[in-house]
Amino acid sequence: MKTDKTQFRIAAVSLSTYGFGYAVIEDGALVEYRNKVFLADKSANSLTHIKKLIVRFQPTALVLHDVNAKGTYRAPRIKELHRKVVALAKRRKLKAVKISGTELRKTLLGNSKGTKQEMAESLAQQFPDDLASRIPTKRRAWTSENARMDIFDAVGLLVVASATLTR
Amino acid sequence: MASLSNYLRTNRKKSALSQEEVAFLLGGIGESKGSKISRYESCSREPTLSAALAYEVIYGKPVRELFAGLYQQVEQNVAERAKLLSYRKRILHSKRHDFLTNIVSKTTA
Repeated sequence: MKTDKTQFRIAAVSLSTYGFGYAVIEDGALVEYRNKVFLADKSANSLTHIKKLIVRFQPTALVLHDVNAKGTYRAPRIKELHRKVVALAKRRKLKAVKISGTELRKTLLGNSKGTKQEMAESLAQQFPDDLASRIPTKRRAWTSENARMDIFDAVGLLVVASATLTR
Repeated sequence: MASLSNYLRTNRKKSALSQEEVAFLLGGIGESKGSKISRYESCSREPTLSAALAYEVIYGKPVRELFAGLYQQVEQNVAERAKLLSYRKRILHSKRHDFLTNIVSKTTA
């Protein structure tokens, strides 16, 4: 957050069955993170909001999950929406970076078997001011995932992508 | 790359305040106090000078950092006008000329 020119700004979007979560990082600092939950017309609403997000933050790159990576299963709706978001990024001349779940876990936790909860806790340690108070309670086997987990997914994507993009 | 127009939301989240609480601190009156803050944060409305200064007090950061993008834009506009002024007036007075050159060089640096 400086008055002189910003070096880089990257946005990450994590699509989910609820809607999506997004985060924006600027020169290593988290400037925005949020999750959007839609009750109806999820794909159309998500796409509209992602468009607004790109216009508002004007990132240099858009980071997404690699939904076609080996061993990844995502719902057909999410896959279709993912394709649309990648096309949108292309139209806006943004670099679309895709990161697989395995890569994410390996970078953040050091192994490919970690859970989302562990990733969220590790990210909360990295950004305590922003994320520590937002960690969802540990999910039980019979409960659904907390919608807020989308924020942590997006921040995780950003952390991994910013390390590779700024190298 | 230009900075974001403002960093009000980033700072509010860091300080763990709600929009209603910020509205109260800014001295908002009425029922829809939070909505005004939302408009400030989404850049659909520019705050008054007293609100901008109140933001500086609340977040402990100078106004030009809180409204970095807007500041850059204003800085650029002033520099362009300074260039124009020095050209129009053909200023010979060295002190005045130095002052205007300084404004222009600040933005090009």
